[in-house]
Amino acid sequence: MRILVCIKQINDNGDMNRFDEFALEEALKIKEKAEKQQQTPGNSVSVDVITAGKSNSFKIIRRAFGMGADSGFLIVLKTKEKATEYIPPFTIASLLSAVADKMHYDLILTGIMSQDMMHGQTGPMLAELLNFPCATGVTKIRFPVKNNFIQVERELENGFIECLEIKLPALLTIQAGINIPRYPSLSNLLAAEQKTIMTRKETDIFPHRGGVKEFYVSIETPEKTRDGLVLEGDLAGRVNQLLNFFKKHDLN
Amino acid sequence: MKQIIVIAEIFQGLIRPVTWELAGTALRIAELEADSKYLVNDRGKGQNDKKKNIRRQKKSGNIQLQKELKSRIRIIVPGEDPLPVAEKIAEHTSMDVICLKIKGLETYDCDAYKTCLFRVISEMDVVSHVLIAHTSQGRDFGFGLGVKLNAASISGVNSIFSDDDGLVYSRAVYGNEKNMMIRPAPDIPVVLTIMPGMFRDNIMNNLNNRTMEKGKITVCEIPFNGSYPLKKTKPVSDTGVDTDSAEVENIHVKGKLCQKSTAYPCQFASRIIHGQILRKACGNKALKGAKIIVSAGRGIGEKDGLKEIFEFAECFSSSAVGASRPLVDMGWIGYDHQVGITGAEVSPRLYIACGISGSSQHIAGMKGSEIVVSINKNPDAPIFRHSDICIIADVHEFIKEFLKQR
Ligand SMILES: Cc1cc2nc3c(=O)[nH]c(=O)nc-3n(C[C@H](O)[C@H](O)[C@H](O)COP(=O)(O)OP(=O)(O)OC[C@H]3O[C@@H](n4cnc5c(N)ncnc54)[C@H](O)[C@@H]3O)c2cc1C
Repeated sequence: MRILVCIKQINDNGDMNRFDEFALEEALKIKEKAEKQQQTPGNSVSVDVITAGKSNSFKIIRRAFGMGADSGFLIVLKTKEKATEYIPPFTIASLLSAVADKMHYDLILTGIMSQDMMHGQTGPMLAELLNFPCATGVTKIRFPVKNNFIQVERELENGFIECLEIKLPALLTIQAGINIPRYPSLSNLLAAEQKTIMTRKETDIFPHRGGVKEFYVSIETPEKTRDGLVLEGDLAGRVNQLLNFFKKHDLN
Repeated sequence: MKQIIVIAEIFQGLIRPVTWELAGTALRIAELEADSKYLVNDRGKGQNDKKKNIRRQKKSGNIQLQKELKSRIRIIVPGEDPLPVAEKIAEHTSMDVICLKIKGLETYDCDAYKTCLFRVISEMDVVSHVLIAHTSQGRDFGFGLGVKLNAASISGVNSIFSDDDGLVYSRAVYGNEKNMMIRPAPDIPVVLTIMPGMFRDNIMNNLNNRTMEKGKITVCEIPFNGSYPLKKTKPVSDTGVDTDSAEVENIHVKGKLCQKSTAYPCQFASRIIHGQILRKACGNKALKGAKIIVSAGRGIGEKDGLKEIFEFAECFSSSAVGASRPLVDMGWIGYDHQVGITGAEVSPRLYIACGISGSSQHIAGMKGSEIVVSINKNPDAPIFRHSDICIIADVHEFIKEFLKQR
């Protein structure tokens, strides 16, 4: 089984989107389970990662290697290095699909959303472009696969959970809490230095960025919903003010 | 006339209240478009804006101010036999309703929704907006539907504005610290997922002010197990280069050259099998009835930090300890302590947020609290915008001092 995990670097330090860490961990767990079971020799699991980002995004691919990923793809975006540049999720999904489509993945995992842009669109759009069935907000994956269907649970609101069986090839977006992501290991990180990252430029895939259907207007600080009295003074003074406030409002 | 489409949210045969918010938001959009000083081109007239220019070209002169709505709102109610719910929605909103019967659809199904909704919507005249709830259901099918419709797509909309160039949509970014304003391209439909709870107030007014005549119901039937094979949607670039000819052929995988893929032929009926819908144990047992909730977030640093949160809570007579989701995810505290959209919705007299940043998912669970006090070391933490009292401090130091003084 071939697994692809789509990951995103959220800053120049090479930090990975928190939700993607859960996705990658889940893929690695599947791989380890398959290795342990060895039921079907020759049918091992491989875990690839892909990211579309600035050229320094090779950092998270290395991090992913450190966690145990086998191969990594980097699509270098044609960015204007402007902090607030808006890159539509559809652009990213199109680029990812161009690579993923050639690679015959059985399972593609993404985080439920990115912690910075918070769209939550890339995964479902990628599934649509590849014509994969898709389930979002997955909190459990059961392995092994039965009759080409994989059993998952996805999270709904108010503590509800939906059980699904989804036909491979499929795309799942992973919700936080599904596992506890590991840290990169030193031995993996050392081994990772030998690995090449398969790198392509956005313009090699699409000479012109297409399908841009939304545009950035501005970024603003949202309005307050409550007054927000900021307590001033030293720590002791502020604790005192708070105690008085509680007393006045009968909160004890 | 342009059409604003609302997709009702139905869960286990029942109308989710967010549906009323969507209807209200649709009305708001229709009013904004009618009020605005710019003249909206009828969509679909084939003016493909090739320039990636956010400025919509204004038509000179001929500026109209109209009170009348220029858009028609229609609510689509999907389901196996959604007529009873469709009736209710038509009655409650006095908007026109399309009762979308999907034979064989026992429960919400991503593929069935995308396919059938696409078919219905793509056959309608000039659809300008498709409104979907930003919920576990809406986020599941909405963006794939957007791809099929070749629409602009904006998720988690929390506010709508209009300026000289048209409507602008606000959505939270950076963990709720900022809002980003996005404008969809003109002359194509836009799929919007609407954040529940953000439009609630003015919406109910809007709906109530309308003459309450029952909306018209149109029944439309699409078989679910039928032969409706999916066509693969192609990503497009401006030059019309499709992915097949793009240069990705030469990617090596472990030394082997990859072959070109074949499309996976399948029909949606067979791709997703639905099992049970379960409920996680014991809802909000830990939080129920507490007058005061002291809640901990990642800012407490480590699991041991919870001890002082419990001590803090014990200072009050009727209190409980709440938590943000990551603490539950890490296994530091039980799920029944989780506050937020996927946890408990609480409304105590006093909510004390300790080291919680204030993501929209968390706020949704505690915004009904009478008084909110927040302790956070980051003066820009979004939680402070939703607090009555803000304490910019290290949470450990503050609690230590509090325990000392009381
Ligand atoms: C579909 C979905 C559903 C979700 N449902 C929920 C939900 O129900 N409930 C929920 O809570 N989240 C939910 N989340 C997660 C949510 O998006 C946030 O990730 C989460 O709420 C953040 O938790 P936090 O505030 O504890 O952590 P962070 O965002 O990491 O914030 C930690 C805060 O602590 C402050 N801090 C750090 N150190 C200190 C210190 N020493 N003293 C004082 N302050 C300090 C920081 O300034 C920061 O503001 C959901 C997410 C998704 C995608």
